[in-house]
Amino acid sequence: MSRKISLVLMLLVLVVSMVPLSAQDDVTVRYFTFSAAPDHLEDLDTIIAAFEAENEGITIEVSTAPFADYFTLLQADVVSGDAPDVFELNYESFVTYAANDTLLNISDMLTGDAPYYPRALEAFQYNDEQLALPETFSTVLLFYNADLFDEAGVDYPTAEWTWDDAVTAATAITALGDDTWGIFSPVQFWEFYKKAAQNGECEFFNEDMTESTINSEACVSTLETMISFMDSGLMPTQAELSGVSDSELFMSGKVGMLVTGIWMFGAFAEADFAWDVEIEPAMNQHAHHFFANGVAVSASTSNAEASAKWAEFLTASEVAANVRVETGWELPALDQPEYFESYLMQSPPENREAVFMALESPVTPPVIERQNEMQDTVNGLITQAVDGEITAQEALDQAKEALDGLIQ
Amino acid sequence: MVILIIIMIAPFLWMLSTSLKSQEYILQATPQLIPDPMTTESYTQLAERIDLARTFFNSMFVAVVGTIGQLVVSAMAAYAFSRMEWRGRNTVFTLYLMTMMIPSVVLVIPQFILVRSLGWVNSYQSLIVPALFSAFGTFLLRQSFLGLPKDFEEAAFIDGANHFTIFWRIILPLSKPALATLAVFSFMGLWNAYLWPLFSARKPDVMTLPVALATLQAGPRALTEWNMVMAGAVVTVLPILIMYLLAQRWFVSGIVSSGIKG
Repeated sequence: MSRKISLVLMLLVLVVSMVPLSAQDDVTVRYFTFSAAPDHLEDLDTIIAAFEAENEGITIEVSTAPFADYFTLLQADVVSGDAPDVFELNYESFVTYAANDTLLNISDMLTGDAPYYPRALEAFQYNDEQLALPETFSTVLLFYNADLFDEAGVDYPTAEWTWDDAVTAATAITALGDDTWGIFSPVQFWEFYKKAAQNGECEFFNEDMTESTINSEACVSTLETMISFMDSGLMPTQAELSGVSDSELFMSGKVGMLVTGIWMFGAFAEADFAWDVEIEPAMNQHAHHFFANGVAVSASTSNAEASAKWAEFLTASEVAANVRVETGWELPALDQPEYFESYLMQSPPENREAVFMALESPVTPPVIERQNEMQDTVNGLITQAVDGEITAQEALDQAKEALDGLIQ
Repeated sequence: MVILIIIMIAPFLWMLSTSLKSQEYILQATPQLIPDPMTTESYTQLAERIDLARTFFNSMFVAVVGTIGQLVVSAMAAYAFSRMEWRGRNTVFTLYLMTMMIPSVVLVIPQFILVRSLGWVNSYQSLIVPALFSAFGTFLLRQSFLGLPKDFEEAAFIDGANHFTIFWRIILPLSKPALATLAVFSFMGLWNAYLWPLFSARKPDVMTLPVALATLQAGPRALTEWNMVMAGAVVTVLPILIMYLLAQRWFVSGIVSSGIKG
């Protein structure tokens, strides 16, 4: 019996003596990402390898989740007190996390010489504290199938187009056949706030954020314009799509124009028809999405220094920037034209300058603390209007009431 | 009847057919029912992308061990609730049953916090242990045990058998159909589970099939390779199909085969 006990004791001593050896210098930073999976995991590994080579003793441990579930999981981690040290956030969810004191203020831990776009850096400040770093940005453009334009005998889109020109071209392309459509421009929350900005007079909230103005005349007419593409048969309805996504529809060569993000460049490269991009048509003025992803450090991390170092490397290092540009994994939010030269050289699409032209009229989403609820509510009501269950006016009247409740 | 069969089987055939196509044929305006050319490239890609062997093993291990565990725990609980007399038995049983009324989504966060404080995140325990305690399984088996005549165990008691012998030698053999039914339910539940494994097993080395398949769905920002997703679905459905074929006779065979006439 006593021999057994002494054996166990010896083992215990062995184990205990080993722990500090491995734990003393080495720091593991847990990083949670949605943008890397499933296509860019190896590219992320390249960035990590470069970081670990530069910072001995810091190991990056990656976990990923499908985009659809990412924020559910992140929320569960944060709530249960087990937040990853470093994690990605999109701009829309940033405020929710910032307002709930879950992000670490990293202002003092930055080297300060990283060449971020000032506007992107500001986007991730909250109450004058830098609570996240801008990682990448992207925008939405008008993609067009050049072959269908040729077939219909209409001119390609130009930077001077308005939506009326787009409708004229779409009408000609729709006339090509029963299963060909002129345009697809999604009708949902994100498109709506951008087209509202193109209208120029539609704002979701008044200036001091005390009341929603989403049911103003300008907003109603904006939404009506969006729905009219579908009503006039230029754009397929959900029933006609029957589960095919808008990008799959474009890939199958059945739609003349598609309003979607520059993140589709890679996937569309394999299309068997000629296509290009142009900035979006204007209503009363130009407006383009400015989507940004950021990288934040958790307020509860025990490795603040190492985590901030990783966050800065991931967002601002030359290695990371080059990997992102070369592999078509979104664009780094850095004010360094030389990083973008190789991006502009690639094709398709030919007209990559449109990406940077679009960013001259950037729109960021309306953001409130209860962001998810706002998006769900507005999306639900817009869908009802699209399905013809209620009018655009009724949908936005109800939206105003709901949003007023959410900002109280 | 024939129409019903076609309606039921068509999605499966479509899944199989899509999984055997190459990417460019999937979104053709005139869909092909029989793929031409037929290719298994999506299965090869799938195996590379999600470490199919490991994921399949994880799912199988969790489902098999979880099912056996659930049968043992539920059967013993059901025995205590049906064949033993003790104070407060019905109250405890009612309380236990009431847990069935709590939607499982509500339990995810508290359960996650519990599992985390046990240090079980990203482990097989987190997938198996919470599944062992099933109010539904206990209820199902209790009802089945209640239907067995008392005469058997009384006779056994007189011959000197204890509770365990009665449970093992008399009650369990007579309840095979109920046990098989529960095994099928439990296996299917564990095999198909998504939400809980999504939370508790995120590392590739413990990830189960449904969660791994979800990572193939590219989300709004890329094109999903449907042939690969469908190949994954085929792999996921097969064991359930085999399980059903094997256990089918338990559903069909008689419910009680007691030797006692009314």
